[in-house]
Amino acid sequence: MALLSVADLTRDFGGLRAVSRFSFDVEPGQILGLIGPNGAGKTTVFNLITGFLQPSAGHIALEGRSVVGLRPHLVTRRGIARTFQVVKPFPKLPVRENVTLAAFSHEASRLRAEALAAEMLERVGLGDKLEVPASDLTLGEQKRLEIARALATRPKLLLLDEPMGGLNPREVDGACALVGQIRADGVTVILVEHVMKAIMRISDRVVVIHHGEKIADGAPERVVQDPGVIAAYLGTRVAQS
Amino acid sequence: METLVQSVVSGVLTGSLYAMIGVGLTVVFGVMRIINLAHGDLVMLGMFGAFWAHGLLRIDPFVSIVLWVPVMFLAGMLIYRFLLKPIIPGGELNTLLYTAGLSLLIANVALFAWTGDYRTIKLRYALTPLRPFGIAVPIPLAIAFLLAIVITVCLYLFLARTDPGRAIRATSQNPEAAALMGIDVDRISMLTFGLGSALAGAAGVLLAPSLYLYPTVGELLIAKCFVIVVLGGLGSVSGAIAGGILLGLVESLGAVYVSVAYKDTIGFVIFLLVLLLRPSGLFGVGRT
Amino acid sequence: MTRTLAVAALLLLVLAPPLVASNQFLLHLGITVLLWTLLGTAWNMLGGFAGQVSFGHATFFGVGAYTTMILYLKAGLAPWYGMLLGGLVAVLVSLPIGLICFRLRGPYFSLSTLAVAEIVRLVALNWEALTNGPVGLLITTLPRATVGGRLVNWESKLPFYYIIAALALASMLATYRLSRARLGAYLLAIREDEDAAESIGIATVRAKVLTLALSAFFAGMGGGFYGLYYRYVDPDAVFPIALSVEMVFIAVVGGLATVTGPVIGAIFLTTIGETFRERFLVGHLIFYGLFMMLVIRYLPEGIWGGARRAWAGRR
Repeated sequence: MALLSVADLTRDFGGLRAVSRFSFDVEPGQILGLIGPNGAGKTTVFNLITGFLQPSAGHIALEGRSVVGLRPHLVTRRGIARTFQVVKPFPKLPVRENVTLAAFSHEASRLRAEALAAEMLERVGLGDKLEVPASDLTLGEQKRLEIARALATRPKLLLLDEPMGGLNPREVDGACALVGQIRADGVTVILVEHVMKAIMRISDRVVVIHHGEKIADGAPERVVQDPGVIAAYLGTRVAQS
Repeated sequence: METLVQSVVSGVLTGSLYAMIGVGLTVVFGVMRIINLAHGDLVMLGMFGAFWAHGLLRIDPFVSIVLWVPVMFLAGMLIYRFLLKPIIPGGELNTLLYTAGLSLLIANVALFAWTGDYRTIKLRYALTPLRPFGIAVPIPLAIAFLLAIVITVCLYLFLARTDPGRAIRATSQNPEAAALMGIDVDRISMLTFGLGSALAGAAGVLLAPSLYLYPTVGELLIAKCFVIVVLGGLGSVSGAIAGGILLGLVESLGAVYVSVAYKDTIGFVIFLLVLLLRPSGLFGVGRT
Repeated sequence: MTRTLAVAALLLLVLAPPLVASNQFLLHLGITVLLWTLLGTAWNMLGGFAGQVSFGHATFFGVGAYTTMILYLKAGLAPWYGMLLGGLVAVLVSLPIGLICFRLRGPYFSLSTLAVAEIVRLVALNWEALTNGPVGLLITTLPRATVGGRLVNWESKLPFYYIIAALALASMLATYRLSRARLGAYLLAIREDEDAAESIGIATVRAKVLTLALSAFFAGMGGGFYGLYYRYVDPDAVFPIALSVEMVFIAVVGGLATVTGPVIGAIFLTTIGETFRERFLVGHLIFYGLFMMLVIRYLPEGIWGGARRAWAGRR
């Protein structure tokens, strides 16, 4: 059974249809890339899945159970965690506290929550910055902090919203390795990204969204050559040539 | 029927003055995203300015507007430059609390200086109301209404036709784009706060002959001001005008047809409803 | 170090008053400081820890005051029990208020609490059957009470002092426990970024509602005490915006999200204010406004927060 199954997902904002009959499945252990031009609706889909927005229509189910209508904290408790396109740390709190707060969702005692937090931070390479205020970190470090924080909720599915944005090539490589490691640990990943190199390298499958609709779904190499996809990014003239 | 017309007329007249109070606050919010809790006290200063001009200098209070508008404009710019500017980077809530402190300071210095006695302005020409078509219209209110129209027209011309006015509108719509277009956002903010304070002072002068004056009246005015500004949409000048008149009407009609006692409550209930259901204001033009 | 300080302060609090019992002004000052400590501490739970700045906390204070007065005058329930019930009624009232206002964020939340407070004040002013309207409610004699076999002398300020001291200490203890509990940590997260807090599994609405209830309870009891001590309650005394604003100032000037902050804020502002009021009668709130502005500009963590940081820096 698919881990996450999204069917006919639709979201309207007044007269504007931001997401239109969007459907896809994610198998356990997969890394799914979600790409599309700016404004296509990628973050909206994330917001819909995680409960920050309610769908106008459609179904979203995790392991067969619907998550529509749940508040975000309940979606997280069901097993879907996320990062944000623009990082949202808890700026004045130390790095470790940022993650400990997330660990509380699974560990009742502060001692064990802090231990889990330290472990997650070690995994993302921030083990030496535990007591630093989150606002003092670089952008790349803050992105890794958010990943550690999401992982501390022990998710089944992790939604990463443009984790590579603003990273230099070396940092991108590190991020790819990290995502691979996360999958190896048994977490399924949906990755929204613009950095094509990363998508091509680590995704098992790619779904393309344009004007809120799915226009392609398949293996990365095939999708990238799909004329519809090329037209969406570069215009029909380039696609036809 | 006559009661209805009288109600509507009173409501619109009072509402126009409410609108004057609201316009200053909304203009400042539009450009700087600040909710200035001291706005009501600036209106109070305008009211007392008119009172002292009449009492000490024997100047007709309405005429004193010519004096107080530039003074309040300058005062507003100084308040921005020396008090608010360093606070703004600290965030919306900090700024809100700071203006709360400023409000308390202004009101209580005034209280200390002028005592809490209720004062009124007695105008010789205002003893009996006008009665066009049998509807009672107090003369000070009528004059204030006409002056409010004049001020509003001037404001529109300023915002639409002059460069600083256009800069203010641009910054209000998108501060970053405005800065990229070469607008000195800091200078515009200073100008806008001066403008907002001048409008507050003007509103105070217009109100003075029609209300009881006391130093802590700002508290009452700012509460009404929020209702107006949220109704009309935060940041929208026309919204504030519409909101003011609407509130005037609601209170006037409410007093007659629902209950005199609860007429103020109606405004606040509507305020809450709008905040919850239509935060961008009744006309959907406000910034949230 | 802080332990010794706390114990010393506690001893001073308990042992000093009987020694100065003859000086009624000093006792009154102490009672006033303690009442503001209670209110500032109550406000701080929601405003300092959770970052939800309420400009309408007078609502809970006033509800507590009126409950106490009404239960005594109309049902004969002794005011010390009425005080507790006042706290509970304030909690009940806080539930629908939270439901409405917590849908809003930041300054909009603050404004909505102000609107609610004004609505409640206007209702109290006009619902004469329940509240006597602008005339207010008056207690002429307090019921007999004995403590440890001795009759309580309500003419002296001493018994009131002990009551408010107990309430203030209880609120500070509650704040301390809150700061150590998971809820306290959650509140700090909500203060930093509410959406991020939701995304890591924190039930933000429930946390805010719980905290508001706790805050309303202590503010309500403060109102009940007010009724007991001053024996006269009217809408403009217990529901005005100024009162809500003063609560905010005590907490901000003292130090947000700390246990001791509101005490420092209360001592500081009240002593300066009351001394000024003695001499000049009006305008004592000038200092509230002035210090609020100074603190936000130069010492955003409040007097206590700043002192703590300076102390930590020196070591």
